[in-house]
Amino acid sequence: MGFSEARRLLRRLLARRGAALSLAFLAVVALAALFAGLMPLDPLRQNIAESLKPPSPEAWFGTDELGRDILARVVYGARTSLVTAFGAVVIAALIGVPVGLVAGFYGDWRDSILMRCIDVLLALPNILFAMALIAVLGRSQGAALVAVGVAGIPGFARIARAQVMALRQLDFVMAVRGFGGGPAYIMFRTILPNALSPLVVQAIVLASIAILLEAALAFLGVGVPPPTPSWGEMLRTGKSYLYEAPSYAVLPGLVLTLTILSFDTIGRALTAIIDRDETDAIHETAGGGRR
Amino acid sequence: MTGYILRRLVQMLPVLLLASFAIFAMIYAVPGGPIAVIVGENASQEEIAAAIQRYGLDRPMVVQYFDWLGRALTGDFGLSLHSHQPVLQLIGERLPATLQLALAAIIVALALGVPVAIASAVKPNSWLDRVLSAWSALALGVPTFWLGILLILLFAVELRWLPSASRHVPFWESPADALRSLALPALTLGTYVSGILARFLRASLIGEQRADYVRTARAKGVPEKRIVGLHIMRNALLPFVTIVGLMMANFIGGAVVTEAVFTYPGIGRLLIQAISTRDYPLIQGCILIILIAYMLINLGVDLLYAWIDPRIEYR
Repeated sequence: MGFSEARRLLRRLLARRGAALSLAFLAVVALAALFAGLMPLDPLRQNIAESLKPPSPEAWFGTDELGRDILARVVYGARTSLVTAFGAVVIAALIGVPVGLVAGFYGDWRDSILMRCIDVLLALPNILFAMALIAVLGRSQGAALVAVGVAGIPGFARIARAQVMALRQLDFVMAVRGFGGGPAYIMFRTILPNALSPLVVQAIVLASIAILLEAALAFLGVGVPPPTPSWGEMLRTGKSYLYEAPSYAVLPGLVLTLTILSFDTIGRALTAIIDRDETDAIHETAGGGRR
Repeated sequence: MTGYILRRLVQMLPVLLLASFAIFAMIYAVPGGPIAVIVGENASQEEIAAAIQRYGLDRPMVVQYFDWLGRALTGDFGLSLHSHQPVLQLIGERLPATLQLALAAIIVALALGVPVAIASAVKPNSWLDRVLSAWSALALGVPTFWLGILLILLFAVELRWLPSASRHVPFWESPADALRSLALPALTLGTYVSGILARFLRASLIGEQRADYVRTARAKGVPEKRIVGLHIMRNALLPFVTIVGLMMANFIGGAVVTEAVFTYPGIGRLLIQAISTRDYPLIQGCILIILIAYMLINLGVDLLYAWIDPRIEYR
């Protein structure tokens, strides 16, 4: 996927209202997370005298049980969420894609063994798997990241495998093979660049799952340990103060939900665009363009 | 059919063995292992040595595993490190609560999801379809724990109709109390599942509407209600049941989270407590029980096929 193609894809994405809104929202969240240090927000400063205050001009989202600014904690919590999501996607892709490429490229006993392992991973409800892993590794941001990442491996492996199987008999791959390209060269330099679009979509879908899973783990009290701000952890504590400060659990939850829905909307829009491209390509090769 | 069920049950064994070994190996790999929990943090070298001796923790891992497995097969999952009660007894006390919640959630999901799917599939791309599709996207996308919090705020904090924390009341002992206590957790979990049902059943129903037999039925003058309710529905259920089977893992994850939101005394909360207190025998027992339940549900889904579509044969 080259630069111009990425720009074309972005333009078509922006033409869809839902996807454009989602992209704008995610841009705000990402910029806030990135430049949190430059804003006059301190997620850790306590002020017990000002605890559990409703939203006000001084603290837009109100304050928590220790008098900390909830908006500041939501902004820094975005860092936790986005870093976990990004790290999890990287782990899942780095393991899942090569597994899928090798399994699909050879299609022999290597395929059977690798895909059985993926099936076992797929058979476990991912939250259960993540919890078991955290029980072993102990509670830390690293453990949450690894647990969420491992849960994402099967998705990448299956898509990469399907792509290789569709591409490996095509002319351009056969040509490279004829010129003496080795298996590793064919898999990673010839096939992979042509299989990127569905993998990018999978990365976005996984990002939404990863953010949800990280928040769920934190909500259950086994995710990123305090005092690091995390949206799930805020909902967990906020739930104890529903009578005193309802906005405490509602506002961080709203940001979390919108983030998940945004990733999901963009993922589905991209799938629709790519599907359409493929149908068009088939029509063009068949001799009758659709447009 | 009986043979098929038996064969499927036998096929579950290797997966369970592999999973139980994996869980065992993971716990074995913990730095310090269970021993730190057994003797406490300030134990002397002698106390640690005595505990290692007593629990046989100095033996090779594989030996320990088969020892544990042998006892597990006779129903002895060991003692909880904290309450010192048998693990199986602790799980047995919580299991009915989880089953009751799961059943109630499925009823809510069917009651919400099926009518939504039919209403939007009858007129695809109408305004009603768009509203209902947006609703199912929301039901799917809103995190269960946030939805639970919103429902508590509305029904417990504002309206004061229902309790914010749920107890387990067996339905046959007091149906009214059981319903009061189950209403919010079941609505939370059920709404999420209804989103899955509505999205995939709608797709499945729309796909079937273009089939030849539907045109034939219309041409014969079969009333539309009968076409949708009898002809299309039955055929649309098949691909849909497959998806539901695949989504069962999400259902179990959702149940664990829902129990946490409403401090509902089920298996999910038992597991979370076990993890936070590093009660390894209990963690092991809970995960295995949930895994067995998950596999039995999947078997049940496969058997549903035969009931929906008699053309499918089980070999």
